[in-house]
Amino acid sequence: MQDYKDIIAEILIDEAALQKRVKELGIQISKDYEGKDLLLICILRGGIVFLVDLMRHITVPHQLDFMAVSSYGAGARQSGGSVRLALDLKTDIRSKDVLLVEDIVDSGNTIAYVLEFLQTRQPRSLKVCTLLDKEERRETLVPIHYRGFSIPNKFVFGYGLDLDEYYRNLPFIGVVDLKKYQTQV
Amino acid sequence: MQDYREFIDEVLVDEKTIEKRVAELGSQISLAFAGQELLIVCLLRGGLTFTADLTRHLTIPHSLDCMSLSSYGVGRYASSGNVRVNLDLMTNIEGRNVVLVEDIVDSGRTLAHVLQMLKTREPRNLKVCVLLDKKYRREVPVEVDYVGFDVPDKYVFGYGIDIDEHYRNLRFIASADMKKYKKTP
Repeated sequence: MQDYKDIIAEILIDEAALQKRVKELGIQISKDYEGKDLLLICILRGGIVFLVDLMRHITVPHQLDFMAVSSYGAGARQSGGSVRLALDLKTDIRSKDVLLVEDIVDSGNTIAYVLEFLQTRQPRSLKVCTLLDKEERRETLVPIHYRGFSIPNKFVFGYGLDLDEYYRNLPFIGVVDLKKYQTQV
Repeated sequence: MQDYREFIDEVLVDEKTIEKRVAELGSQISLAFAGQELLIVCLLRGGLTFTADLTRHLTIPHSLDCMSLSSYGVGRYASSGNVRVNLDLMTNIEGRNVVLVEDIVDSGRTLAHVLQMLKTREPRNLKVCVLLDKKYRREVPVEVDYVGFDVPDKYVFGYGIDIDEHYRNLRFIASADMKKYKKTP
């Protein structure tokens, strides 16, 4: 694996800015969900780091659950095709206040599908919290209720987001210099 | 949901001590696998917080995968020790260095079973890192390579570990006085 310093073009969001914003989101969510029955849903695996930090700033009672999705066939997620549920929720979300926690929304295809799917189970409310929003790339309309940062259409990594499965543990969000980055074989 | 202060018995490990120990474990694992690559396998859901923090202290290249397990049967029928895989690894672990990250080991039955199962896939190395070890509860021998803390045989919660799906976001690990605990209806 290359050292991230060899492939980074710039630090887009540094550790202090991330921590500050995650805390703000946690405080905002705690206010909005006072007295409600909050269930945080994390879509594996990118959202994990954000979720763990966010959760620690949420002061109202909440539960946690996971989903894992994959696509049917190559390129299906890009083309807006259906999404295969690899791991379904353990929790019945009927009458719960569900907040989907995502690392990044770009085309919006996957999350739009997941929202539609979850809606059929009649939660009391269903909202989206994303750390990063790449609006430029949007193909499907997705309502975003909590947004960490709007970012330009650049190839980002770190803080849960991987490059070929590596670099998730970096405490900041960086932009990859694709001329320097060699995909792992 | 009941305020944890109403049923807490004592704080077993405070935030600072956890942070320090998790950093130590991160360095220790990085040292043990220096010059190699790692796959960190997080056992959902309890191991999530620990995994997110631990990986931030790893200084060697690593990727992350998750497994979700449950046991067959309920109550006393669950004792066969057989484990159902709800979500399997996406990664092929053959020839890889694998560290399994778990929040707590008590009887060791689940862990022993998972290890046995994963070994059939012939990883190069398979190690276990647990945050909490309830040694007195051990029923089957399990080799644990990295231990955060030994804890007494008490009902613990916080730092990723739940009671009825709540309290995972607390920054410390505490024991509960279950006589005072009331389950949220």
